[in-house]
Amino acid sequence: MSRGRDRISPVALVGLLIGAAIMVAPLVWTLLLSLKSNSELMRDSAAAFSPPYTLENYHAILAASLVPRWLLNSLIVSLGTTAGVLILCSLAGYGFARLQFPFRRTLLALVLIGLAIPEQAVILPRHQLFAQLGLHNSYPGLMLPGLVAPFGVFFMTQYFRAIPVELDEAAMLDGASRFTLFWKVLLPLTLPAQATLGVFTFLGSWNDYWWPLISATTSDRFTLTVGLASSQMNYAQTSGLGFLMAQAVFASIPILVVYVLFQKQIVRAMAGAAVR
Amino acid sequence: MIMLAALLLSGCLQTDDRTTIVVQRFFGECGAVYGTSTDVATAESECGILMTMINAFEAANPDVRVKINVVAWPGYPQLSAQFAAGDPPDLVTMHQSVISDYQARGLLDPMDGLLAQAGITAEDFTAAGRAGVIKDGQIYAMPWDTVGGLFHINTALMAEAGLMREGRPILPESPEQLLDHARHFRAATGKPYLIQAQVNDPATHVRNLYTYLLAQDAQIFPDARTIRINTPRAREIVKLLRTIHADGLTTRSQDFSAATQAFTNGEGGIFPVGTWMIGPYEEEARTPGRPLYNSYAVMPYPSLYGRPAAFVDGHAWIMPKRKRSDPELRAISRFLGFLAERNYDWTRTGHLPAFKSVLDLPQFEALPHRGDIAAMAATGGQLPAYVQRQSAIQGLLAEEIEAAVTGLKPVDTALEDAERRVNELLSQML
Repeated sequence: MSRGRDRISPVALVGLLIGAAIMVAPLVWTLLLSLKSNSELMRDSAAAFSPPYTLENYHAILAASLVPRWLLNSLIVSLGTTAGVLILCSLAGYGFARLQFPFRRTLLALVLIGLAIPEQAVILPRHQLFAQLGLHNSYPGLMLPGLVAPFGVFFMTQYFRAIPVELDEAAMLDGASRFTLFWKVLLPLTLPAQATLGVFTFLGSWNDYWWPLISATTSDRFTLTVGLASSQMNYAQTSGLGFLMAQAVFASIPILVVYVLFQKQIVRAMAGAAVR
Repeated sequence: MIMLAALLLSGCLQTDDRTTIVVQRFFGECGAVYGTSTDVATAESECGILMTMINAFEAANPDVRVKINVVAWPGYPQLSAQFAAGDPPDLVTMHQSVISDYQARGLLDPMDGLLAQAGITAEDFTAAGRAGVIKDGQIYAMPWDTVGGLFHINTALMAEAGLMREGRPILPESPEQLLDHARHFRAATGKPYLIQAQVNDPATHVRNLYTYLLAQDAQIFPDARTIRINTPRAREIVKLLRTIHADGLTTRSQDFSAATQAFTNGEGGIFPVGTWMIGPYEEEARTPGRPLYNSYAVMPYPSLYGRPAAFVDGHAWIMPKRKRSDPELRAISRFLGFLAERNYDWTRTGHLPAFKSVLDLPQFEALPHRGDIAAMAATGGQLPAYVQRQSAIQGLLAEEIEAAVTGLKPVDTALEDAERRVNELLSQML
């Protein structure tokens, strides 16, 4: 591709800059608010745009005794959920894409129906089921619902289908078993899809609030989202605005790290390029 | 070495033989500042005062361990989930207006006996506190405070408008006088008489409406499934609110944060809002150079109709129904007794006490403005104990009143719709 074709017109550049500024403005505003004292913001929230700035809100977050625990809980739950989703969806995707078995299409359709069922519709029976099994306030209790990932199954199925069947035939001719074919030949080829699915699952699990709110009801089992929310005073948006914004920034730092590390996969996924 | 290992191991395996009670509360987290403090007298903020109280209780009762569960405001989704899972805590902070929702479903234990063990009877509570916790003739919670709407007043602007007498604000005594004062205030100062949080704050209009209906002894909820809000009295009140808005006598389109800032910066005369803002505004009043410096007063809602009244709510300690051992019950009783003895300290948050004895304490009267607002502990009224889903009802009423106040709907239509929608909600109650 020539350098000339990469050049962007000034009008488009201005448009992009304006768009970027609009996108970034709330984030910058949040960051600036987080660096101001609560009392100053209660008098005038526009004070965020002028110094002096302070780290007192971040100090207050870190000094809360349970924050490291909530961070650890979020990491365990998010990583556990991500690993589980990748394993299950890869296996299911391979099965639906490559194996012939009775009711395969019906089963896939059933899985896809899951995409149309909102979490709120199943929250009561799920909560009761977990209560009967004694799973509340436990890591499995926080992770298991996240493993139900119809989108992941669909995504991996489509990816496996896009891989030429000739590869299977060649490997089988060389004496590979079904598992060897899956594990050593096809799975490595799905790494871009795995990365995309993994990043989205991690982000979704990290940001999840609703299920941890009602399943983890003791402070030491809170995830970071629920823990930080519990730290807020009433009328935090007025008398604790700086602290509230610092919490938002703090909670998003791991997400930012994941985004920076996996930027390419996320952009590819958003562009629909992961499934070839 | 073996001995040392055995000693270490025995230390690790040592069990905590204290009686454990699980206390679930909102009010936020402040462990960074008050995590180990037992000095209740110097603690500040709701969270700080409550945390030091609990620390002090544990220090004074070494045989009891209080396990604290801090929940996201207001914590009711979690509490409901805990009930569903069959594992609710021992004591929970709850708004008095919410108690009926749980009590009507048999989820709460009556606390008469437990409180009696701690030497507490219903007679010890203020009238507002009693009204908030007694259901079907039994005490279902220990009231902790009374919160309600007050007129927070910028006395410098009121003086500019000639609405001060002997250092005290002159408040209206009728709807007509309120409009006169407001118009005069605006002409004299160029600023609105009222600052109101009318956006995203359903409590604002509903608090006004309930307050002035209670002042006329109106029966808003004749029974558990009926609201009667489409009445001449309600119409008169909402029309007054509509006139205030239409004539520019109030700030418009402000949410709670914007209204709070507006009052802090002297952009209007009176901010009708709750007891919880006394502390922050008092701090502004003590800060030289600030618009409210030496220019802040706070009074109960003026008596515009009928008798003095205020629609109030309050925080309370409820005890979810579950099996408990005798030592646990004794520990809970001691804990409640300990808190009750320190109800004065809680009133430093700005809330009114739930115990009558605190009202008479010299140190309570010495707190800023408490002498002016203490009457609310007696005049404060709540909805009948049988009214459930008060928060949802408030949301529906607020939508309709807001539509009427801003002119989107005629007042009559809005009240008709409000009554219909609330009655539909109440008809679906189990």
